Amino acid sequence: MFLALKEMTRAKARFGLLIAAIALLVFLILFQQSLQNGLLTSFVGGIRNQSAPVLVYSVDGQRILQGSIITPDLEALVESAPGVGEVGAIHQGTFTVTSADGAFDASLLGYADPALGAPTTIVEGRLAESLDEVVASSADAESGFDIGDVVRVEPGGLELTVVGLADQAQINAGPTLYGTVDTFLDALRAQNPDAGTPLPNVLGVAPADGTTVDEVVASINAQSDELDAFTKDDAADATPGVAQVRQSFQVIFLLYGLVIPCVTGLFFLIVTFQKAGALTLLRAIGAPAGRLVASLLIQAVLIVGLGYLIGTLLYTPVSQLRLGGIPLEFETAAVITWAIVLMALGLLSSLVAARRVLAIDPVQATTGAGVGR
Amino acid sequence: MSTSSSAPDTSAPALEMKAVRKVYRMGDADIIALDHASLTVQHDEIVALVGPSGSGKTTLCSIAGGILGATEGRVVVAGDDITDYDAKQLTKFRQERVGFVFQSVNLVPFLTARENLLVVDELGRRTGAAARARADQLLEELGLADRRNNLPSQLSGGQRQRVAIGRALMNEPRLVLFDEPTSALDTQLGEQVMELIRNEMKSRGTAAIVVTHDERITHFCDRSVHIVDGHLDAA
Repeated sequence: MFLALKEMTRAKARFGLLIAAIALLVFLILFQQSLQNGLLTSFVGGIRNQSAPVLVYSVDGQRILQGSIITPDLEALVESAPGVGEVGAIHQGTFTVTSADGAFDASLLGYADPALGAPTTIVEGRLAESLDEVVASSADAESGFDIGDVVRVEPGGLELTVVGLADQAQINAGPTLYGTVDTFLDALRAQNPDAGTPLPNVLGVAPADGTTVDEVVASINAQSDELDAFTKDDAADATPGVAQVRQSFQVIFLLYGLVIPCVTGLFFLIVTFQKAGALTLLRAIGAPAGRLVASLLIQAVLIVGLGYLIGTLLYTPVSQLRLGGIPLEFETAAVITWAIVLMALGLLSSLVAARRVLAIDPVQATTGAGVGR
Repeated sequence: MSTSSSAPDTSAPALEMKAVRKVYRMGDADIIALDHASLTVQHDEIVALVGPSGSGKTTLCSIAGGILGATEGRVVVAGDDITDYDAKQLTKFRQERVGFVFQSVNLVPFLTARENLLVVDELGRRTGAAARARADQLLEELGLADRRNNLPSQLSGGQRQRVAIGRALMNEPRLVLFDEPTSALDTQLGEQVMELIRNEMKSRGTAAIVVTHDERITHFCDRSVHIVDGHLDAA
């Protein structure tokens, strides 16, 4: 500790620059993690955070809510599948909606049973109880979708009052409203009086007592090749584009994950070469090699730790922002996970320098040679 | 024998080397750096080890200080037979029993003069306040009290050498090994440093070997031993 801290104190600029570089990289990693999660949540958060444990699409719908149509025959097959408990229709459509802030393309979801399709992350207010009530995604509260706000479905002018706000409940990265099936049908008919009664887009399913969610998914899928049943999390992940977005970000994370150990490893290797004489002298006067390696590892821990702390402090205010309509969130799990990963990689990378230290022969102090010479 | 368990034998010679050989393997050839060298240094004796470059004087010094192992022979320092010590034991031995002043790199550049002395305690016994008091006392004696918080880069060559001497004395060794201590200094400064070495060693009753190729400084030592091609001419 003595040597590690003294050296860092006396070379503030050198170590400070490395800490700053790591802080910047940590900030970028965490920011991109928030961006990824915010982006995915704004696309499929409403699927993940609704009450039906299982969602059943038609295969033709290609796992898109609005593209899926459940015919009565398919509905009957779902209802008769072993292990199926309750089944409820869910409708989804995109409507032009005007709020105090202007016109938006909003998704409206209508559920037949609040236990099978209503949002589960109500943070303020309540679920819709009457025809002219809806729950809005909290991310859009400031865009005229706050509790008490009245929004109009255009054309037709159907007025809906926001009575609740749900977190992470957006679909298709736009304002999202949740109401009953009748509210959905009213909106549809207000827009197009000849719309008739549309078929549900998906079915929300709850397993019967004693049946697991996975069992019921397998059971429904076994009923017909035209049915595509998923747990709600799998349904969110299976939405077209989600895997590609995740994969793109993973490549970015991988690159960052490589840059940090490379920067740290090279830094310590260079420093080890630069202070070769001092290390050899210390070995000659009786410093155990392990003590010198420990000193190096302490520095690596302090540098990565401080860099991580500063990076997280920079990230914290940014994580509260909205970016182009995408609400960012402080990702606690990502902060913890990356801290462990980067600390491990930082230590691992400094082992190259540690090997050099271990290879020092104290006799080199008598010849003026040092590490690697 | 363990370096940590055995207290220094103050009546024993500071160094006894008996028929020590050091052979380096270079490709297919054996290079004999030290050939059956025997040397005894009494407990308060200062010995000048004089010889030309490549004569084996640094090798002898390194073996005496436990930096290098002998190929053959016996090495006893202040009663400790270090001949068969492994690397770990030799590290501890160097930490606790001998002092070194090297020819080239002598100080840790990112530590102040005082910290360069304290690092000896940090690596070993960690006595804390006692070590700080000893470091301050040594710096005072060496005329460096006002330079204690200076980094090596802020010290002159002579001052750096004095700090190195202080560091070599921090662990209260029975034997201090000086490898060309004046080679980087001008004649006047070299003589001042040698006088300081003599005074410090004699006042403490500490033995020393001063490796040099400069005959002009040998008069500061009690006797001179010449080494040529790994052979000592007097012991």
